[in-house]
Formats: sequence, structure tokens, C-alpha cells
Amino acid sequence: MTFLEKQTDPTTPMHWTGDMQADYFYSNGVAGDRFFKHLMKKDTFLASECPECGVTFIPPRLYCEDCFCGIPDDKWVEVKAQGVIRTNTTAMIDAHNEPLEEPVVMALIEIDDTDGAMLGRIKTDMLGMDLAGLMVKAKLRPRKDREGTMKDILYFEPY
Amino acid sequence: MNDVAIIGGGMTVFQRRLKETGKELSYLATKMALEEAGITKKDIDMVVMGSAPDAFDGIHQKGENLLDGAAGAGKPYVRVFNGGGTGVFAPIAGWWHVASGVADIALVVCEEKMGNCYPHPQTAFRHIWDPILDRPLSPNLVWLFAMEMNRYMTKYNIKKEDIARVAVKNKRNAVGHPCAQLPDENITIEDVLNSEMMAWPVQRLDISPPSDGASALIFCSKDKVRQFTDDPVWVDGVGWNIDSTMWTNRDLSFPRYVANAARMAYKMAGIHNPRKEIDFAEPYDPFDYKELHHMEGLLLCNKGEAPILTREGVTERDGNMPMCPSGGLLGVGNPIAATMGQKICELYWQLAGKAGKRQIPTDPMVGVGQAWGDIMQMATVAVLRRG
Repeated sequence: MTFLEKQTDPTTPMHWTGDMQADYFYSNGVAGDRFFKHLMKKDTFLASECPECGVTFIPPRLYCEDCFCGIPDDKWVEVKAQGVIRTNTTAMIDAHNEPLEEPVVMALIEIDDTDGAMLGRIKTDMLGMDLAGLMVKAKLRPRKDREGTMKDILYFEPY
Repeated sequence: MNDVAIIGGGMTVFQRRLKETGKELSYLATKMALEEAGITKKDIDMVVMGSAPDAFDGIHQKGENLLDGAAGAGKPYVRVFNGGGTGVFAPIAGWWHVASGVADIALVVCEEKMGNCYPHPQTAFRHIWDPILDRPLSPNLVWLFAMEMNRYMTKYNIKKEDIARVAVKNKRNAVGHPCAQLPDENITIEDVLNSEMMAWPVQRLDISPPSDGASALIFCSKDKVRQFTDDPVWVDGVGWNIDSTMWTNRDLSFPRYVANAARMAYKMAGIHNPRKEIDFAEPYDPFDYKELHHMEGLLLCNKGEAPILTREGVTERDGNMPMCPSGGLLGVGNPIAATMGQKICELYWQLAGKAGKRQIPTDPMVGVGQAWGDIMQMATVAVLRRG
């Protein structure tokens, strides 16, 4: 059976409008705090290595989610802010179904000398194509402008 | 159903913990529980996460966000939540994972990070109301609970000082709790009665504080428990019940849904006379009057009798029926779901003789813990027994 009645104008039924206003502080966490404070002073990333299985986490973690042990201070390592693209997309529309002014190339980047990957925007003219294997490095904000958030990484670009 | 024991618990300090993420808090509590039980992540068959509204942490589907800190990555994992009832509902879910036979060892982690939400976590409660009938009047929970408190006081002719006595007892009990946010060994009834009026008759010290924290418990089947302990603490009965969202149709002087949940748990536990067979309780105490309300709902005394027993010292830690020996939510703090730490972990620690300075001196054998939530409608109950 098919329902044929269809209402598309939300103001047609008697109604009352409201919002779900709520605002948040998202603190970086213990491991995140260390990662972003480092990034504010240097042009490299921090990673953390599990003392039991040897997996190197980027972004760094306070604990290994598999071995479920803490990661001690001497297992934090500095790595270059660069890596290799594992997979990517070229976005043409936003979440509201509106066309973007400029297409966005977003990629998962395997960070060198770690076992992890980070989400990043890629500055490139290579739109609508697979960029797997492309070597990219992070373009960071000028140090004086860094705020200790992911936005300190402006984008990654091929090198 | 299989018999289910508890073999380890963990709990972080409760306070405004801006530093840690929710998953880092979960990790700290989980690690403590694993160490107390003497097991590792490999030994865990399944994981249950309890965490109340997404709106506190500000992460939709936060169960998925929290799971790697709760030893859930790569495991069968589920989040359960029913508002303030979660702190006892999550361990009930842990129990049924083992009782059903699908898991031998189940880990339950409860987390809440209310400090993310500003200007106050009450902001999140603005959106729990019926959008047509209630929300246009802009109520908040404290106002509603004030009306329930007033109704309870009026119906049974209860004086405010007999309600304030609960806040004093619990904040004093919390002095021995290493995780406590608001312990106060010198607090008096006058301090409570002189505190700021928030929504008459509710005053500032009648209410537990918002908080951040996590707690964890490990449930184990009868077949495996002897590998870990010779003196297990058993989950004898569980019960849960929810009343209509049309709370306006209820009298409010007695939480009948708590009584329904308690009857379910007592029946499973083979308890016929809870007043005689239960040695102590952890009723949910986000407000001081709620401990009294819930003591009656748990059928531990007659309606309107809880304030009298409290005045007579029966509910003190060294009384005949100790209530909230942990210090409860009023003394230890109220990170909603994570209050599993006071309501069920405390039962376990008391019955296992691990409660330290909070240990009840009369060697209790049976305890009942309870949580309460949603719009004055949800009750979750568990009965634990020393083996």
C-alpha cells in the first residue's frame, strides 16, 4: 500500500518553534594538550608509542586501546608533519546540499614513521581523482598565530 | 539464567575535570577495574557503556566516541542510557550479558562529562520536555523537583530540617571517599537551611553538584569466578520500570515506578521482607528529599516514615539500615551515569570488605542500589549479596 497524502510545507500544521541551544567547551584532553602545545612551538607532530605492542599513535594517545596500558612519557616521539595519502575525495557540495564555492580535496594522510593517519585538507589542482600514494606535508599557520587547535594545520600540500 | 558475580570496580575522582577527554576518563576508571579484578582487556568478552544525554558531552552518539577508552575497540559493545537511571541500568545490562550466557566476563563503564556544556549543564535539560505542552513555559528540572519535594513534604507533614539532615549525613559520609567532590565533616543542618534558595523549597545544599567522572565494574559468570576470587559478590536481583511521560497525571508523593522496579528485583533475589533482609542501601540522592522518597519507593519503610528513621539515626553508617554510606551524589558528586560508582560499585566494595574508611561496621550481607531518571519516571534497581 502506498500513502498518497504528502505535506511538504512544515508551517501547514499548527505548531510551535523552538531550538536546541547548547554550547560547549571541548578541551583537548591530556594527550591532546601535549600534542597541540607542541604544535604551537614547533613545525613537527608528536606521536606516542605503545610500550607493549609498539604501535605508534598519531594523534598521540594517553593509552593503547588494544593492550590497554598507559603510554609513558619516554615513549612520546617527534615526527615530521608529513605523510602519504591513503585515500581522498573531492567534495563539490556541502552538508546543506549547496554547491561549494571551491571544491575541497579531503584526504586521509598516513603520517610518516607512525602507524596512524590524520584527516586533512589538500591544496592541489588535482580534482576528482585518486591521489593515493601522493606525498604531502603540512602547511601550518605562522607560529605567532597558532591557537592549539586542528586549525593550526592550514592544509597539506604535495612536496 | 546463569549466576553473575562482580570481581572488580574502578572510579575516578569526581569533579570538574576540564583536562581529560571523556575517553581518557573512561580509560582511568576501566584500568582501575581491570587491575582490581586482576584481568586484562583480552579477558573481557563484551563491553557495556553507560552514558546519559549526548547533550552533556556535546558529542552525538558519544558511546562510539568513548569506546576505545572503555576497552571496547574490537569487542561486542553497546551503549545503554535512560537518563539518570543509567548508573544502575548499565550494570543491569552488564548482568544480563553474563546471565544470558553470551559472555563470561562483561565490563561495564559509565562516563559523564557535564563540564563541556555551558553556561551550565542544566542547558541540556531544557530540551527534554514535551515540546508542545511543557517547553513553551521554559521549565527546568530544579523547578519540577521543587514541586515534587513540596508535594512530598506537604502530604506527610515533613519539616525541611528533616530533609536537610540527609544532605548533612551524606556530605559527612563522603569524607572517607577518595573520589568525593563535596565532603564536609563539619556541615550542619543550619548550613543547609541557610543556603541560597534556588526554587522554594529547594536550596543550594539540597542538591548534588554537576560533575565529570567515570566508573567501571567487571561482571563474571559463576563458571569462571573462582579463578579470580574465593569470596565473590553476587548480583542476586535486578529490576527496572518506567512510568508515563505524562508526569502531570501522577500524585508525585510516592515513586510507584521505584516500587515496581524494587519488587521485580526482590522477587528475583528471593527477598520477601526487604526491611529485614536488606542490610544497607544506596538510594539515588541527587536531592536530599530523593533519598527519603526512594527509601520509601524501595519498600524499606512506610510512606512518610523515611524522615523519622533518618532523624532517629537508623540510616547513619552505623545505624540499623545505613543509607548512602558512600556519601551518595550529595557528597561524592553527580556525573549522571558515572554515579554507578556510588550506587553499585559501593555495594560491591562494601560487601567485599573493600570500602576502607567508609566500611559499614556491622558486616553487611545484602545491599540494594537504585538510580532514578528522566522526568520523574525511571527507576533502576539491583540487589547484591556477599557470597
